[in-house]
Amino acid sequence: MSDTPKGAPRRRIDVWEQTAIATLLGLMTLITFINVVLRYGFNSGFIWGLEATLILFAWLVIFGVSHAFRVTAHLGVDAATNFLPAGPKRAVALLSAAVCIFYALLMLKGAWDYWAPFAGFQVTTGRWFPTGFDASTRDRAFYITEQIPMPWFLEFLAGWINQGEEWEKLPRFIPYFILPLGISLLLLRLVQATREILAGSRESLIVSHEAEDAVESVAALNRES
Amino acid sequence: MHVLVLFLGIILLLMIGVPIAVALGLSSVLFLLFFSDTSLASIAQTFYSSMAGHYTLLAIPFFILASSFMSTGGVAARIIRFSIAVVGHLPGGLAIAGVLACMMFAALSGSSPATVVAIGSIVIAAMRKMGYTKDFAAGVICNAGTLGILIPPSIVMVVYASATDVSVGRMFLAGVIPGLIAGFMLMAAIYIIAVVKKLPKGEWMGWGEVWESFRDAFWGLLLVVIIMVGIYGIPGITGAIFTPTEAAAVASIYAFIVASFIYRDIGPLAGQDGGARKSLLRHPQALLTSLYHPDTVRMLYDAGKLTITLMFIIANALILKQVLTDQQVPQAVANAMLSAGLDKITFLIVVNVILLIGGQFMEPSGLIVIVAPIVFPIAISLGVDPIHLGIIMVVNMEIGMITPPVGLNLFVTSGVAGMSIMRVVKAALPFLGILFVFLIMVTYIPILSTWLPTLMMGPETIIK
Repeated sequence: MSDTPKGAPRRRIDVWEQTAIATLLGLMTLITFINVVLRYGFNSGFIWGLEATLILFAWLVIFGVSHAFRVTAHLGVDAATNFLPAGPKRAVALLSAAVCIFYALLMLKGAWDYWAPFAGFQVTTGRWFPTGFDASTRDRAFYITEQIPMPWFLEFLAGWINQGEEWEKLPRFIPYFILPLGISLLLLRLVQATREILAGSRESLIVSHEAEDAVESVAALNRES
Repeated sequence: MHVLVLFLGIILLLMIGVPIAVALGLSSVLFLLFFSDTSLASIAQTFYSSMAGHYTLLAIPFFILASSFMSTGGVAARIIRFSIAVVGHLPGGLAIAGVLACMMFAALSGSSPATVVAIGSIVIAAMRKMGYTKDFAAGVICNAGTLGILIPPSIVMVVYASATDVSVGRMFLAGVIPGLIAGFMLMAAIYIIAVVKKLPKGEWMGWGEVWESFRDAFWGLLLVVIIMVGIYGIPGITGAIFTPTEAAAVASIYAFIVASFIYRDIGPLAGQDGGARKSLLRHPQALLTSLYHPDTVRMLYDAGKLTITLMFIIANALILKQVLTDQQVPQAVANAMLSAGLDKITFLIVVNVILLIGGQFMEPSGLIVIVAPIVFPIAISLGVDPIHLGIIMVVNMEIGMITPPVGLNLFVTSGVAGMSIMRVVKAALPFLGILFVFLIMVTYIPILSTWLPTLMMGPETIIK
């Protein structure tokens, strides 16, 4: 990934996304570890630990999917496309980008429809693509998580979403929010990737194996001299 | 019939370079929209609960993280030194030491490519210096690296356990003996080749070096003990201490402590630019600063990224699994196979063939999520032990990793050794033969897989 004229903001976004991914994974590990220590050392523990870890896990993955497209980390099969000459190769890359965008659009509708009732919004009508809002949506804003306590600084949300009624535990719409957020980001990154393919600064959406970076850093050891 | 179209669609999408996850996901979403009344909202829910609803899969990010801390140069180098001290003096010693090092590293890490990178980068260079051909070196490491998913802990086993509801603990134990056998078969083959071809051998450096190098590698190897004792307890003294998922989290924290405070290869105490390592006593603030040191953040990020790409595939494979269950594919396949008069032996051949073909195109974890639910019910009705079936699947995945066109280990070895893929394929071929023999052994001698888990955890009960 070479420096574009927009190099600096690009790097800032990279650092931000990397830090977010590292923090989410770090928190998951720490919460699980501390709960083990509390259980064996002090016969206690955070009852919300497991649920919170699982939510962080979902956040890590759904947030990270878009970042992985940005840094071209998703696995794919390049055995066939590698044999193509440059022109058709680019056409096929564009086709596969279009396929991914179609996927993201469908998932975005699904993500909204799933999340909206929990946040007091209306789901969309239509089976494939949104054709309008469904006024008869059942409001699910009162649904709460099983164990996670409600942080005080989020209580103002009750006035906006739950008709002023406060939640006893963290309401569900907060963890589920990663679905519309993550998939919108995914769509954004896919559009950007498509533009990069058009501009010629990117070849494809995939890598053929998971350890590409690691391999690059050690490849020098065995290069033919 | 529709389902065949679904699979053709997936293969077509894969061929034009669509990411595996999207190929699986989009085909399944289209199928559900066309042929069922599932809504997009419930597909999104399936996607979300692939993570939030699968406690077993939560072990994956933790095992990846532990392995990422353990892959930081130092641990691999120490394990290799210990291996060379033990077996380096045999004919073909360095190659045998490479296999031994891969086996030990596999016990720290749950992934094969990680094993190839960590061990291969050092051993292949060392072997060339000793006068081995590059092809031989690459062939050995490419094959030995596949042990990463057979010797516990193993990410592929976690996925199998989650897909079929068998115990992760049992699967891990079941991998121990086959893993040792496969390792020793590779070593024996190298020994024979070395004697025939008069390959170089190293010098016996004495028990002092064995002890010294063991002491140096001890903190890394202790991770294996922590995981094993944690999951199974010590017979007669204590029961299991934590679940496999917790064991993985504890292992990551331990690996972090070893890498930052004991070996000091990374973090605030590491020597900069070849300088000496700093002492924790003189820099007590490192206890805090190490938590957000750039090295730590990088390890967390690398592990996070790998988790994301793997889980994206698994989450979409779970949507595909929903299609298959909806369409009652497992039942249809079971009826077809049983009415064709399949017995246990022919069934296992069919499973091997399906997996060997599938393994050419798919990433192992995704393939397991899809295939396991299809063959599992048949296996149970034919009296195949679920744990045994799991080990067969894992060994098939190992072979898939070193056969083109989609052999993860081939790509990684080709990168690490700086050779073309075709050259690595040829180099790996002789040892691939050994893995095939091993696959046949594992398939038809179930006791290799089931003996240890039954001994440690009692006979298995199938609830269904």
